[in-house]
Amino acid sequence: MKELREIDRRLLEFKENAELMVDLAYSSLLYDNRVIAREVDVLETLMDREQNALERLAVEEVKNGESSVDRALVYIRLINALETIGDAAREIADVELRDMDVHPVFQMSVRDSERTITAAIISGESRFNGKTLKELDLPKEYGMWIIAIKRGNRWIYGPGAEVKITAGDWIIASGPPDMEDEFVEAAGRKVEWDTEED
Amino acid sequence: MKLWKKKEFEEVEYEPRSVREILTEMKDISEVIVDLAYAAVLFNSSEIAEEVRLLEVEMDRLKYQLQMTVMLATRTTEDAEQLAGVLQVANATEHISNAAGDIVSLLKTHMKAPILPSVLREGDEIISFIRVPESVRGMRIEELYDEVSAGIRVLAVKRGKRWFYDPEDNMRLRENDRLVVSGIDEDLDEVRKYLGGKA
Repeated sequence: MKELREIDRRLLEFKENAELMVDLAYSSLLYDNRVIAREVDVLETLMDREQNALERLAVEEVKNGESSVDRALVYIRLINALETIGDAAREIADVELRDMDVHPVFQMSVRDSERTITAAIISGESRFNGKTLKELDLPKEYGMWIIAIKRGNRWIYGPGAEVKITAGDWIIASGPPDMEDEFVEAAGRKVEWDTEED
Repeated sequence: MKLWKKKEFEEVEYEPRSVREILTEMKDISEVIVDLAYAAVLFNSSEIAEEVRLLEVEMDRLKYQLQMTVMLATRTTEDAEQLAGVLQVANATEHISNAAGDIVSLLKTHMKAPILPSVLREGDEIISFIRVPESVRGMRIEELYDEVSAGIRVLAVKRGKRWFYDPEDNMRLRENDRLVVSGIDEDLDEVRKYLGGKA
């Protein structure tokens, strides 16, 4: 990837975070998992802070003659739109944070969707065991994106390419429903929705 | 007057559809609409932007539909508690679609040339325009997924002057269709290679 300007690099991360938050929010409901819901809440707070910083940066670029007013407005608009998506994720996670039961129809809808959410526990024999996400290239092979990994009591949200998968990890992924079975089989054991594993 | 403007305040009447069906549709739209919004900005396409507006209006309608259906489905306090969460999720999907509308309004406010591509062309998942050659005429979109990668997604098909948004997987491609495809860079390269290189 070529060198990006600071504002672009941070905006890109901002965008990816907003998308990650929506998936995490759905996951928190599907797995009745407060830890994930709280993470969405934390990420939303961070996003608010980053929104301010990015808007300031966009304006400063104009002041320093590095950008035009039009361009800055476009950035600010986009930052705002992405923040709205982050807020929407927080609204979804809110249901879990308030400990409300969601009607099973929600799970059915996710199952019917063009993109579903699935989770598996990595087995010792899995070919994923001991490999980094970069080596596995799951988006390419299964269309599956890893949203989060639970390792012992520790969570890794939106793991980077260098993160290594090991036996016992609980991985949550989003992707096409018709690849789910193949993906879970290669990973190990499926984690059913709403059965939190501790 | 634009179609979405006409539909914006159309009367909403109850239709017998299940909560499950409506919620699924709202979730799916909330995902495709954001990608389409990026595509509209990326290709500076007012046509795609128009479709984003239409989907946004459709989301408003679906939200009302869902509210009515949920009200009719609620019998007990337990139902009410559980369905409140469903309505909350549905509202969130509607808010996401509003964000997509905000993104395409970028097209209106400035500008002769799109400003954002440098950002939207980076990142793990990107969006590209790819032309269908004669050699794969008649192929279904799902077959393209099987052939190349499960990770790509055809967001829209442009056929002559017509656009098909969020096309069905069993739609058959025609020569010279132009596909708006999202996926990781590597996969899109493969699609391009498979479809003969030219965009």
